[in-house]
Amino acid sequence: MTAALTLEGVNKRYGDFQAVRDLSFQVEKGSICGFLGPNGAGKTSTIRMILGLQPATSGRIAILGADDGRKVRDRLGFLPEERGLYKKMTPVDAIAFFGALKGLPTGEGRKRAREMLDAQGLGDARRKKMKELSKGMSQKVQLIASVVHRPEFVILDEPFSGLDPVNQQGLETVIRQLAADGATVLFSTHVMQHAERLCDKVVLLARGKKAFEGSVAEARATSPRFLELEGAIAPDQAAGLPGVAGVEVISETDGVRVIKAALALGAQGQDALKAAFLGGLDVRRFELREPGLHDAFIGLTGDNPDQDQSVKAAEAAR
Amino acid sequence: MNRTLLIARREYGAYARTVGFWLSLLAFPIFGGLGVGFAYLVKTSEPVREVVLIEEGAGASGLAAFVRAALEEDSERQAAEAREAVEAAQAATGAPVQPAVAEAATSATRSSIRLVAAPADLAASAPGSAQDELLRKYLGKDVPKSERLDAVVFLQRVDGKPTARVWSASATDSTVRRFVSGALKSANRREVFAAAGIDPVVVNETETYDPDVKSFSPQSMSGGAVTDRDKIPLLIGLASGFILWSLIITGASILLNSVMEEKSNKILEVLLSSASATEILTGKVLGVALLTLTVLAAWGGLGAIGLIIAAPSWAADVGAAILEGGLLFYFVAYMVGGYLMYAVLFAAIGAFCETPRDAQTLMGPIMMVLVVPLLVMQMTLNTPDSPIVRILSWVPFFTPFLMSARAPSDPPMFEIVGTMAGMFAFALLMVWIAGRAFRAGALSDVKLSWKSFAGAIGRGR
Repeated sequence: MTAALTLEGVNKRYGDFQAVRDLSFQVEKGSICGFLGPNGAGKTSTIRMILGLQPATSGRIAILGADDGRKVRDRLGFLPEERGLYKKMTPVDAIAFFGALKGLPTGEGRKRAREMLDAQGLGDARRKKMKELSKGMSQKVQLIASVVHRPEFVILDEPFSGLDPVNQQGLETVIRQLAADGATVLFSTHVMQHAERLCDKVVLLARGKKAFEGSVAEARATSPRFLELEGAIAPDQAAGLPGVAGVEVISETDGVRVIKAALALGAQGQDALKAAFLGGLDVRRFELREPGLHDAFIGLTGDNPDQDQSVKAAEAAR
Repeated sequence: MNRTLLIARREYGAYARTVGFWLSLLAFPIFGGLGVGFAYLVKTSEPVREVVLIEEGAGASGLAAFVRAALEEDSERQAAEAREAVEAAQAATGAPVQPAVAEAATSATRSSIRLVAAPADLAASAPGSAQDELLRKYLGKDVPKSERLDAVVFLQRVDGKPTARVWSASATDSTVRRFVSGALKSANRREVFAAAGIDPVVVNETETYDPDVKSFSPQSMSGGAVTDRDKIPLLIGLASGFILWSLIITGASILLNSVMEEKSNKILEVLLSSASATEILTGKVLGVALLTLTVLAAWGGLGAIGLIIAAPSWAADVGAAILEGGLLFYFVAYMVGGYLMYAVLFAAIGAFCETPRDAQTLMGPIMMVLVVPLLVMQMTLNTPDSPIVRILSWVPFFTPFLMSARAPSDPPMFEIVGTMAGMFAFALLMVWIAGRAFRAGALSDVKLSWKSFAGAIGRGR
């Protein structure tokens, strides 16, 4: 597969603060790539460099064969993290305007806008002003505005933030459809579940550095499986079970604990279960869990993806 | 359509479709008309004060007649002035003045004082507490409105000189006091001259003589006698300066607010992913320029129509002054340079701000600087070549306004060329600086200050 996007040794520095460090990865044409990391990890800075909105301090970026995103901006679609459209415009006008900026004739833009709004269930909102729409509706309109010109490469910066579960599901469908239509999609998020469901490939970023690049399955494989045990069990009893590499008490109520017991690589959960019964431990619930991307992220970076790193970054800069 | 024009079209449409734009477009001519009407209303609605004159003592005999005569003279003088104004307007405009207008002009010049006979009881009363009581009654609100007085003037002589005590219904209205003071001054002058053996008729003629002084200048239209029409180019120049100031600042402020709104609504980042900073800045500047040209065309059109209807012969002179004197060229050139300078500066500031409060940090000093040409421009009417005006004309920020106002007075060619070259060079520098600041500000979250603004210009993006 040929690469639609390539980053090689990219660095971005703001004064004393290094936002992105030696970042290299590729996104293959027609694939969906998740760009994952906590807030402040350097995702938005990287996206801005890819789009050519900010120069890299050093390193090389190639997108759709160009060495600068600005040279192929008409072939790109971009949904920024902080979203907004002209409040007094109607959705159709706003979508047609942004489409026209990407070279789409206004008439065609308006036609596509109407079709896409209908498809998203926003047909009734066509003639309303943007300020009259709900936040979820506005975000849908902005997403349509960013892809109305049918771009070859779509970059979505935290597209799921602020959406309710129903709209999140709808957005996942849109992203899958974009890829099915041949577009390459790169989206950033700090919520791993979306990436698990959507991505052909993920790039994990922590403190400006790449922690992992590969498929979701490969990412999960880097992290051990674990057991979830519930009962009147002491943590040291769980730690003594065969194959258990470490334990973490998730909750405790009236002496009944929920314990997460990480298994060593290659260890079998059944061995631990057998030993627990043979040892007479009070196990009321036993579950063997595969690691998620969230666990993989923690395992690979030592950071929690839900934790805001922008505060840490600001402190580091000081 | 290219991106710059698309952005310009959106910018123009966004404002031209608002009610506020059309209100502000019409506000200038409407308030101009209202201003004239209001001045007339103030003049005609001034109440006529009913005044009683009482001579106190035999020595005061004749003073009341003198005050009465002074009042009649004043009314006649005002009526004559109104007639002259109507005739002058008729001669200047080349069109007959409507009878209603002539009537309005005459009624606006009526006297604000009317002498009435003293109520019998007041006339018969002797000075003292009883008279005081009567005075308070007639000046107060206890008597019916028809009997109420606005002032009672007691005329006397003290050491042979005319004096007066003026009792007024209002403690703050000094109209009657001022009029009586003037009349008595005149009375005293005549008496002094009469005592010196000078005929009162001669004194009257001397006082009312109005010399006919004619002005001549080689720079006048005729090359000799100076008329009111010779002031047309200077007035147009001054008006151009003020209009330019108003349009440029209005346009630049619209840009500031527009960019600020896009920044706060997070639209700038989307725009930057679709067009270059230069295209966005140019498109916005162009769109607002078209907006200001629309305003200018509307004002100019309404002004021209009004002038053609009200004063056809002046309209021809104004047209000639604008077209033949090169004023139109200067106006266009200074508008382009001035607008460019301020528009890009304000847009760059807007790129750093999300609220008007953010913008105040930089806008405060800039607005203070902008007051300077407003103050200095007025000097150009009488002394367009004064050193302060000439020196400040070289400051690029002031050049458009001051040189527009000075243009009709034929400033030296080196000043015209030099200041214009300086203005355009500075405008291009501003475009370069503002372009860098705009690029940096659009994606920046830093708090705006002079330091951060200068830093952004240094970094450029």
